[in-house]
Amino acid sequence: MSENSANGLSRFAVELGVATLTGIFGAAVCYGASDVGAGWSDFGPEAGYFPFYIGVLIILGSVANAIGAFVKHRGTGDIFIDGARARVVASFFLPLIAFAGVSAWLGLYVGTALYIAGAMLFQGRYKWWISLPAGVAVSLFFFIVFEIGFKVPLLKGPVEAWFGIY
Amino acid sequence: MENIGLLIDGFGHILSWNHILLMMVGVTLGILVGVLPGLGAPNGVSLLLPLTFSMDPISAIILLSCMYWGALFGGSTTSILFNIPGEPSSVATTFDGYPMAKAGQASRALTLAFVSAGIGALAGVVMITLLSGWVANFALRFSSPEYFAVYFLAFASFISMGAQSPFKTLVSMMIGFALASVGMDTISGDLRLTFDIPTLIKGVSFLIAVMGLFGIGELLLTTEEGLRFEGIKARVKLAEIGRTLVEIPRYWLTIARSTIIGIWMGITPAGPTAASFMSYGVARRSARDKSKFGKGDPRGIVAPETADHSAGTSALLPMLALGVPGSATAAVMMGGLMIWGLTPGPMLFTDRPDFVWGLIASMYLGNVVAVILVLATVPLYASILRVPFSIIGPIIVAVIFSGAYQVANSVSDIFMVIGFGVLGYVFKKLDYPLAPLVLAMVLGDKAEDAFRQSMLLSSGSLNIFWSNALVSSLMALGLAMLLSPVVFGLIGLVRKRKRDGSAAA
Repeated sequence: MSENSANGLSRFAVELGVATLTGIFGAAVCYGASDVGAGWSDFGPEAGYFPFYIGVLIILGSVANAIGAFVKHRGTGDIFIDGARARVVASFFLPLIAFAGVSAWLGLYVGTALYIAGAMLFQGRYKWWISLPAGVAVSLFFFIVFEIGFKVPLLKGPVEAWFGIY
Repeated sequence: MENIGLLIDGFGHILSWNHILLMMVGVTLGILVGVLPGLGAPNGVSLLLPLTFSMDPISAIILLSCMYWGALFGGSTTSILFNIPGEPSSVATTFDGYPMAKAGQASRALTLAFVSAGIGALAGVVMITLLSGWVANFALRFSSPEYFAVYFLAFASFISMGAQSPFKTLVSMMIGFALASVGMDTISGDLRLTFDIPTLIKGVSFLIAVMGLFGIGELLLTTEEGLRFEGIKARVKLAEIGRTLVEIPRYWLTIARSTIIGIWMGITPAGPTAASFMSYGVARRSARDKSKFGKGDPRGIVAPETADHSAGTSALLPMLALGVPGSATAAVMMGGLMIWGLTPGPMLFTDRPDFVWGLIASMYLGNVVAVILVLATVPLYASILRVPFSIIGPIIVAVIFSGAYQVANSVSDIFMVIGFGVLGYVFKKLDYPLAPLVLAMVLGDKAEDAFRQSMLLSSGSLNIFWSNALVSSLMALGLAMLLSPVVFGLIGLVRKRKRDGSAAA
């Protein structure tokens, strides 16, 4: 798959790429299923019996989709995503991954506050004295709803421990 | 009538302030997720599900089902006021709803939509009241081969009725089945498809899949489209509501026709989206004066809305009576039932009549509550959409991450949601359908158990699926569905040849 900033990523390349990936997934399923036994034992079908054929069907479907990509999308000039749009999506998606990373380390409450404040600050171009309180407010609201309202705990990290909240 | 008595008992179970309050909470949250881009009915129900683990099943199902009704209404609100369908099933409502609202008749358009939606939903519930006991009784005769045949039929109809390429549907569905089988095998206890990765031992939850596919995926699409809300000021005027209510009986034929389409599409797994489009198409084709369609014809609002909601409610009939959900949201709710320790299917009617009839009774009340609430709160929700996406988007992400963590108190699930989000985004852009994937994840284990038990009964011979009239006809119907795209394709080809031939001659 080649990215070209003038034209963007072609639909044909992505169709083919996805068909290949689903095909590999199907092969992995077949392999994993045959690992636990995809045959027939004295007690009836083994654990891998059903998944094995699922894997086979995924591979068959992927092959058909790859052929479909050649028939329907090759040379049509359809674009999956162009450079400008890809940047917009990335500007939403990368902070989202950072949010997940920070949350795994500092807990979801701190992660939420930071993420919302950050998104408002950098994407929404709000002043810091609006963004930061907004992030903390959302996080506090989550705490009240989940922790107190429904009594379902969220992931907490070292910061909550300082305040003695577990 | 036995069912009417049971229904009255059902009302007895749910008529308490507590439950009415839950209905209002459910509907309110539902309208909210319906209005917000990126959050839809299946997603909202998945997010709420972990919060109901500690509730009693009747309260929990009331909350979740009311959220479903609310989401269906919320989706139409944004279609009409913003020309942005909050739900895929309300796309058809934008065709005439937005033009009518733009012409200054926003209240009329909203009232038409909500009331016809309410009528559609009530018709669906009446159908469930009358038929569910009968279907469940019939299904009591099923054993594992018949069950497998029913699942087969459900999945075959997805492949044949889907608008997308049948092979894409097949791949999407089979990925769902494969994901469902990750983890501990329910029959032998073996670990499978875990590839020695510890987090995979507990399996992949369908809730995580729904949150990623429909939540994060949808948000990525929304950012890419670069959302701009150019809404119409919504002021619901009481006088206009009254005038519109008087107008509605005029569309009885459209409503009746759309209800039948909706109920049929809801029971079969075609779902509300297909129903609303088909109903709109039929209304347009059968209208004597087509010129106003697309410019704010009231029938263009009434038809898709009635069908959408009657399909949405009818989708619960196969879920309750057979254990085969008719839509992605119904699939999530069915997963919830299993988590609460209930087994959807015919036995539920004999084991827990209080639950089944409580749910059916709550569907009557919940829809009435929904119509009133949605009419009262439309201006409020319309103002939510004026909040910039740079605030709303991140908040939705935070809600989804919290929900994902709560499913199993596991951090790896948060990363898995992101993975499913990317998958959902790419699949959606390439026209792979997502609903079959979710349905297969929920039904995967049950379908596999049915298949393996059948194989045990017959010691490995596939002939068991042709062993009696019932199972043979179900399988034959399924096969016919599966082969229908091929047949229709061939017929189309032959016709085209003929036409070309006659044109040449």
